[in-house]
Amino acid sequence: MKALHKVADIFTLGLHSLSVHIVRSVLTALGIIIGVCSVVIMLAANEGAAQKAALTLRALGSNNIIINSVKLPDLASAAPSQNSRQVSAYGLLRDDVPNLCGSIPGIVRCVVARVALRDTHLRGENLTVATVATEPNYADVAHFNILAGRFISDLDVLAHRSHCVITASLAERMFAYESPLGQTVTLDGEPFTVIGMIDRLPPSLAGRGDEAGNNVIVPLTAEQDRFGDMIIRFAGASRTIEKIELSQIVLQMSDEKSVLEGSVIARGLLDESHERHDYDLVVPLELIAQQKQQMRLWNMMSVIIAAVSLVVGGIGIMNIMLASVTERTREIGVRRALGAKKRDVVVQFLIEAVMLTTVGGLAGIAIGRFAPMLMERWIDFTAVVTPASLVIPFMMAVLVGLASGLYPALRAANLDPIEALRHE
Amino acid sequence: MTEPDGQHGEDLVVLKGLVKSYTVGLQQVTALDGLTLTIAQGQYVAIMGPSGSGKSTLLNILGCLDRPSGGHYFLGGQDVSGMDDNDLSEVRNTRIGFIFQSFNLIRWLTVTANIEVPLFYQGVKRRDRHPRSRDLAKMVGLEHRMNHRPWELSGGQQQRVAIARALANDPLILLADEPTGNLDSHTTEEILSLFEDLHRRGRTIIMVTHEDSVAHRAGRIIRLRDGRVETDVTR
Repeated sequence: MKALHKVADIFTLGLHSLSVHIVRSVLTALGIIIGVCSVVIMLAANEGAAQKAALTLRALGSNNIIINSVKLPDLASAAPSQNSRQVSAYGLLRDDVPNLCGSIPGIVRCVVARVALRDTHLRGENLTVATVATEPNYADVAHFNILAGRFISDLDVLAHRSHCVITASLAERMFAYESPLGQTVTLDGEPFTVIGMIDRLPPSLAGRGDEAGNNVIVPLTAEQDRFGDMIIRFAGASRTIEKIELSQIVLQMSDEKSVLEGSVIARGLLDESHERHDYDLVVPLELIAQQKQQMRLWNMMSVIIAAVSLVVGGIGIMNIMLASVTERTREIGVRRALGAKKRDVVVQFLIEAVMLTTVGGLAGIAIGRFAPMLMERWIDFTAVVTPASLVIPFMMAVLVGLASGLYPALRAANLDPIEALRHE
Repeated sequence: MTEPDGQHGEDLVVLKGLVKSYTVGLQQVTALDGLTLTIAQGQYVAIMGPSGSGKSTLLNILGCLDRPSGGHYFLGGQDVSGMDDNDLSEVRNTRIGFIFQSFNLIRWLTVTANIEVPLFYQGVKRRDRHPRSRDLAKMVGLEHRMNHRPWELSGGQQQRVAIARALANDPLILLADEPTGNLDSHTTEEILSLFEDLHRRGRTIIMVTHEDSVAHRAGRIIRLRDGRVETDVTR
């Protein structure tokens, strides 16, 4: 108890002696303020990046196994000669679906899609849209909102109806002043009736070459009837013919464990029928794990770099404390003569150093707490300040105070009282 | 504890064969050379001697700021000559009151805060320290200066604060090192009469001085030469 209130008194003492040299104290603390602030910002930026990445991956679905058709490099690089009749056939096959979905345990849903770029007409102009031919359960893996009408139904698929659902951005371009429902959209000359409007498709599922978000979703069966398996694109005088049965198969699994097991089985099954390896299997769960590991390394690096500035601040503190010890040698001598033990002197100077870093740390936290908000205005930057990202730098500042105050404090305590009293 | 040889009840300070030697470079310097001395409770002693006579060294040892290389120092019956730094600090804190030539007040502390420093290291609570420092400030006639800083005070006033501080722990001995060395004759008189006042009230005062006029105010004058007692005169 006696020691406790003595320490409280030494705190008052420390506050007092720091306030005597207020400018010097503030300048010294500035190093710590900057150090703590940068650690806070770094941690917040890391957390922001992690949450952003987690969000992106969650959109892919952590329980999903996504298999995409891949155009093989040798097919892709073979220059399409003029009027070439050569057909490049690749990708997932309709036969893969029962093969995969029937033999992997833990499958909840099996969603297929075929993506093709098709031309539509917009006030006499051609507009290229990405057509996603699929089935109703596509809605369960692609997280979108229905803004008007409805999504394609089982009946649409069974009856091979020429119905379609369009994204909001496409609806705005084509039918700006009227409801898109009931309108007709022609795709490569074939008419489709709009039965619904959705906000947007996640980029991972919308198909490539479609940054604008102009998507048309049609029943798989109807697309098959109207267009077949061939995708013929004209580019100037040349044309390319590709034969793709399916662009994507999404296997939705019951839990994370079956995701990892299922992905192994799926690879095995696909490799049997796809010797050319013209598919790409993505497991978001694995990506999450990889990303987490990469993130951890990057986090550590960035925090270490930020912490270096804290150490530099600590050197500043040590410097000023050493100057203070020299300057106050006489005072130390007097205190020792009046009964201060070495321990008392150590505690006094340590507390002064820690107070400097504590005040600096608090100021750094205050700035670091709000600086990310300001930074978000100017640069593309997501920062999430968590309690840990405030507490950790603060603790670091206190530790820096202890570490940098220790040597000056010991030096003060080990002064010979007689010499110290004689000091001018 | 066995009563050390030659120590009587009222003998507050007993020095027996005190030796202090230093090594300066390659040379061995003997500052105290088997000094033996007894000071009784309530005595007012002046220590004199030319520079190099060992009076500073003696004062440092008496004040427990330094340890003798040989011999014994009993303070209030307790042998302090073999104590470690921690215990010596404790002895200084509780049994010794220091008064310095240059006052040695802490610049940025108020008069009362300066007086409270020894109590602070004793761990006396703030609310208990305060009445004590007020009483002491009053006793040395500075009740109207209690919240001033040292630089706002005259030399004589500063020395009175230092005396109040030296009395804060109710010490066994008051050690004064040239207490009037920085003061004019008027304030010297002021301080010396304060000492006499304290002496009358039973304080044991040991004062180092080189001024005869100051030394003659004390009841006993000890002259040192070459680390030994040359003369020891009690009036």
